[in-house]
Amino acid sequence: MTVNRSGHCYLDLIETEAGTDTVIARCRATIWSYTFRMLKPYFETTTGQAFSNGLKILVQAKVEFHEVFGMSLNIRDIDPVYTLGDMARQRQEIIRKLQDDGVFEMNKELELPLVPQRIAIVSSPTAAGLQDFIDQLHNNPHHFVFYTKLFPAVMQGTDAPRSVMNALELIYEYEDMFDAVVIIRGGGAQIDLACFDNYELAFHAAQFPLPIITGIGHDKDDTVLDMVAHTRMKTPTAVAEFLISGALTFAQQLNELETHFIELVNEQLEANKDRLMDAADQLNLLVNQFVSKQTNRLEIAGIQLKNQAESFLKSQQTDLNKVTSNTKNRTERYISLQNHILEQSVQELSFTFRKQVLKSENKLTRLEQLLKSGTTGILRNEKKNLNRISEKLRLVDPQNILKRGYSLTLLNGKIVKSIDQISEGDQLETRLSDGIIESIVEKISNKE
Amino acid sequence: MATKKVTYKEAITEIEEILEKIENEELDVDELAEQVSRVSALIAICKDKLHKTEAEVEKILNEMNQ
Repeated sequence: MTVNRSGHCYLDLIETEAGTDTVIARCRATIWSYTFRMLKPYFETTTGQAFSNGLKILVQAKVEFHEVFGMSLNIRDIDPVYTLGDMARQRQEIIRKLQDDGVFEMNKELELPLVPQRIAIVSSPTAAGLQDFIDQLHNNPHHFVFYTKLFPAVMQGTDAPRSVMNALELIYEYEDMFDAVVIIRGGGAQIDLACFDNYELAFHAAQFPLPIITGIGHDKDDTVLDMVAHTRMKTPTAVAEFLISGALTFAQQLNELETHFIELVNEQLEANKDRLMDAADQLNLLVNQFVSKQTNRLEIAGIQLKNQAESFLKSQQTDLNKVTSNTKNRTERYISLQNHILEQSVQELSFTFRKQVLKSENKLTRLEQLLKSGTTGILRNEKKNLNRISEKLRLVDPQNILKRGYSLTLLNGKIVKSIDQISEGDQLETRLSDGIIESIVEKISNKE
Repeated sequence: MATKKVTYKEAITEIEEILEKIENEELDVDELAEQVSRVSALIAICKDKLHKTEAEVEKILNEMNQ
């Protein structure tokens, strides 16, 4: 399809075989500029689709034949409703296919991080909306940090799906570095969105391991890419707000948690403090009770002790008195008994003694008489005996013997009876009746 | 990677667990002190991550080929 300087539109109408791209019919067509000027905007505003190659259209045309250029169709009118229906049908077909593949919901099932901070952007570097988007993120009023990295792609026309897929593949290599992928298209005309109703692109995007957020810039029906994306936003601005609000929600949650936490901790501390105070009070009370109880017990015990001690002393006193009087009585009794016994003994003794004395006196008297009577007889006898003995004695008196001539020889005052008693030279004394002779022994000889 | 040490989700989950414990009075005062510092640290980490640019991440992003 070409549009020349004068605004005439020349195009080829083709019919392809169902399911393939094989052309089975072809015809040239023209839309004269005065018609095209009216048809094009009407078509585009009605379908939301740029009037471009690849569209299925229903036309009202006049068949013309030219000798040089051959046959062509002169298009007078296009019914955008037909195209719209066809596009919708095609889209439904793609959706059904994605659902059959089981990938349609896959990206939605991914968990978007609490705070998507590291953002991979797929967009056209020249798009006006891109810089706004980046500025909006980086200059957010809450001063949240966002990291952005642009992965450039063509965002319109038939090249768009392939280009976006290439960008996604590149991001895939750095999967760990990002929290989410944002696919945005800077504002502008709400046409040429059909490129995002692409099966292959949707198939890839749906299975992408990072959550995809779209902001393709249209408010009409969602494209298939929007449908399979994790989150669909209408514009890049909305995407930026979504990301910031995510961080804000988190920050608020964090603050709430912090506040709640501080409250809880304070409550807990307060409760502990109260418990401690209560315990201290309780302890105080208990201790006082205990002390007073013990004091009472002590006092009672003191009184009891006093009472008991007194009664004990009394009873001991009584006992002692009893014992004392007992002892006294017994002692007295004993002493009197002993006295009595002693007296008895003394009497007995004196009696016995007197008896004995009397007996002895009698005996003595008898003996005296006996002695008196006996002595007289004995004395007479003895006088006779004595006279006899005196006579005898006169006869044996050595003096008398000596007078008869016998002598006594003494050595050193001792009577010599044997010669063995003496030796030569000894001085002997010889007693005679009328004197003493002293002599020296000259010679000793035996009788034989 | 430094930023992966504690994710926001892990931090929040841990803080909430600790809060729950405190609410259920499962912590005594000694443990409480410990948990207070843990929660403070987690909150600080999160706030830092939210508001302070990490040079490391920026560097990696800048070095990325396209």
